[in-house]
Amino acid sequence: MPKNEVIQGLDLDTYKYGFVDEEKHVFRTRPGLDEDVVRQISAHKDEPQWMLDFRLKALKIYESKPMPKWGGDLTHLQDTLEEIYFYVKPQDKMEHSWDDVPEDIKNTFERLGIPEAEQKILAGVGAQYESEMVYHSLKEEWEAKGVIFDSIEDGLRNHPELFRKYFGTVIPTADNKFSAMNSAVWSGGSFVYIPPGVELDTPLQAYFRVNQERMGQFERTLIIAGEGSRAHYIEGCTAPVYSTESFHSGVIEIVVEKDAHFRYTTIQNWSNNMYNLVTQRALVHENATMEWLDGNLGSKLTMKYPSCYLVGEGAHGNILSIAYAGDGQHQDTGGKVVHAAPRTTSSIVSKSISKGTGRASYRGLLKVHDGATGAKSNVECDALLINETAKTDTYPYIEIDEKTASIGHEATVSKVGDEQLFYLMSRGMSEEEAMAMIVRGFIEPIAKELPLEYAVELNRLIELEMEGSVG
Amino acid sequence: MSDTKTIEGVTDAINREAVQARTAGEPAWLASRRMHAWEVYEDTPMPTTRLEEWRYTDLTEKLLLDSLHLGSVEARPDDPSTFPAGLRQAMDEDREASGHLVLIDGAVVHTDIREDLSGKGVILCSLREAVEKHPELVETHLATAAVPPEEGKFQALNAALWTDGVFFYVPRGVRLDLPVRVTRWISESGAAFFSRTLIVAEPTSQVSYVDEILSDDLAAQTLTSSAVEVITQDGAQVQYVAVQRMGRNAFYLSQQRTLAYRDSTLDTLNVNLGGSVTRVDLNARLMGPGANSDMLGLYFGDADQHFDHNTSQDHVAGHANSDLLYKGALDEGSRAVFRGVIRVHEGAQQTDAYQTNRNLLLSDEARADSLPNLEIAADDVKCSHGATVGQLDEESLFYLMSRGLPQAKAERLVVLGFLGEVLSRLPLGGVQEKVTRAIEEKLASHG
Repeated sequence: MPKNEVIQGLDLDTYKYGFVDEEKHVFRTRPGLDEDVVRQISAHKDEPQWMLDFRLKALKIYESKPMPKWGGDLTHLQDTLEEIYFYVKPQDKMEHSWDDVPEDIKNTFERLGIPEAEQKILAGVGAQYESEMVYHSLKEEWEAKGVIFDSIEDGLRNHPELFRKYFGTVIPTADNKFSAMNSAVWSGGSFVYIPPGVELDTPLQAYFRVNQERMGQFERTLIIAGEGSRAHYIEGCTAPVYSTESFHSGVIEIVVEKDAHFRYTTIQNWSNNMYNLVTQRALVHENATMEWLDGNLGSKLTMKYPSCYLVGEGAHGNILSIAYAGDGQHQDTGGKVVHAAPRTTSSIVSKSISKGTGRASYRGLLKVHDGATGAKSNVECDALLINETAKTDTYPYIEIDEKTASIGHEATVSKVGDEQLFYLMSRGMSEEEAMAMIVRGFIEPIAKELPLEYAVELNRLIELEMEGSVG
Repeated sequence: MSDTKTIEGVTDAINREAVQARTAGEPAWLASRRMHAWEVYEDTPMPTTRLEEWRYTDLTEKLLLDSLHLGSVEARPDDPSTFPAGLRQAMDEDREASGHLVLIDGAVVHTDIREDLSGKGVILCSLREAVEKHPELVETHLATAAVPPEEGKFQALNAALWTDGVFFYVPRGVRLDLPVRVTRWISESGAAFFSRTLIVAEPTSQVSYVDEILSDDLAAQTLTSSAVEVITQDGAQVQYVAVQRMGRNAFYLSQQRTLAYRDSTLDTLNVNLGGSVTRVDLNARLMGPGANSDMLGLYFGDADQHFDHNTSQDHVAGHANSDLLYKGALDEGSRAVFRGVIRVHEGAQQTDAYQTNRNLLLSDEARADSLPNLEIAADDVKCSHGATVGQLDEESLFYLMSRGLPQAKAERLVVLGFLGEVLSRLPLGGVQEKVTRAIEEKLASHG
């Protein structure tokens, strides 16, 4: 496809996933959102009546809620939403063997490195193209232990009781306008169940790709980590660069049962015309641990605050957030922790870098309910500004209703220090190399938590972005 | 369908006619400013908890606007023997001063200023008097740069309805070695009082100003709205201290803006111990390079007291510093809200701005909400903020008790030490002792 080559060549330096594939789909709804569109989505998925009812109710809630006035600039979003396709079905059925995935979709994912990753180490891989998961596989040893790693649609089809028990319980439809929207039109995403006591030693990985222009992707993921289990789920997101705006709004619900340990890693590298409004929440039970590792590098505007509801005694929540806001980007990210049980602990570490006309905002909530005795939490936000047009904000909300809680919040904003630069340059580095090294050092506490290939990718990206940033 | 839309906040007492009545006998510029402020008030919706700035203070529940009547404007005779005991006691503690001003129920009843200072051109007088005698100064500064009505619903209401207040002017280069002391007393229950303070410190002058507001417990909700404008010109040094020790049922609303111009120092301290509901809006604006602002705050709540501090540090110019420390202790069912924002405007390079809020929860029912925000639009800055909420430090308690102090006394000492840090940062004759004594009294009443 010569067209791809041209675009790829043009965008290589700034956004290497910006290539476009020919638009092919077996079905798509008409642009915009109404009851018909919702009914069509549900019919195409051959859903039970309760799910259709759930969707229609959600649509009503979505329509009744005003557009948020806080966070990023959503004034033009309404126009975008009237033009986008809410559902695009790329192929008829989901494949479990990579060889059966249609050639062009396969090409796309191969360029993103999916089969490679799978061959290497992963316990399971899923891939979503437009509105549907096109591929899902899980290593046999884990399947034998009862692990479920499937598309959300197959989750509903094949495990209806388990699905219905948890679906929509962590994030109620009416939580916010976009969780309501997602509840009405959700399509794709993963259904994960880790049976009690099972410890996955390698991660599960899902890739999300939007190819179609003016497309809305609404993945819905439901994860249940059984008692004493241990697992790590990674998602990566990319899209081509179009002149029109696209939209991604996911809802991710996670239940971490007693003594379980679950980590959810996102590396979001959407193209810079994407609205990315995601609701992610985990319900964390007794002595369980939930860790969010949230990397936001792409998109035009991201509003995403992974949250932990610590509902069981001794539960622990951990949020590591890194945001990079380059020219024209606004990353409105952060984290929420609600302490609702005694001796719960949490930590939020956020690092952001703003460059050019980029703006990085930390927005967080720390709430300790009455009776959550001995709750402890610490929040640290650091922001680095690369040049004088860059912006950064910090908006933490701290609500403490418990005397025995111990809470701390700290934030700093700084620019790359002249002394640091001078030192490195006196050691023979160019200014750009020195700058890149300082920035790498700044994000290191988070980068080191990433799986190797993402850490390498993150560092490479930072280097690319730092080119020409000096002076 | 009726087209008579009710305007939020207009009551039998608070309405256009009341504003018009205020304008009687006033110069045209002032009358038109009042009417303009009233228009702004009418056009501004009543703040709700949907507004970030009022997120944790629900006025529909806390403020009984409909029940309030306007406080009387008649000034009492300047005869201390007829003053309430609480006021006399406070005045007795303030003998050492460059000047005094006393207000009862919003009207100025007493003013004095040292003769050598008035000889140098220092003016301390009631705002009404200043409108007549120094119209050029008042017209330039009153409700223009500092607290304009456009700032918010209650700023507008104050600008429309203020009855009197304080005008304090210090000419270029004049330095006052002792503070000016203003004491206000509120006694009329169920009333709404609106007063303004305008402080203008000309270049290289130096002053400190202590404003104390007091009352006994009041039978019904009583509103005291106070607008404070402090203008510190190039190289001047100003310390502004506000101490609020009102009784129950007092709703204290203080809206302050400080302007610090080139190389000036403008430090503020807000102490809030009394009242049922306290809301302080403090906007410190760093207007010129070299300006420096220390912003200190202290609150100590019990029963069902509600404190809401809303501060902002606006770095309009670069090369300026601001440093904020607000500390509070909360006992019984009291509640504190702190919302502070550091705003570094575009181009305000070389800004150093810090902000710290620390809360001590002394009871299971107490609650503290803290929102320390940063909005930074320049890159060569050093900014940080921190917030903590915790209980009494066990180790300090243990140490004191191991030295033989009973638990209650040890706890009192630790609270005093915690709050005392704020006072030690602004050592001003008499203020530290007075506030410490007031905290001790409050602590002692809990046993």
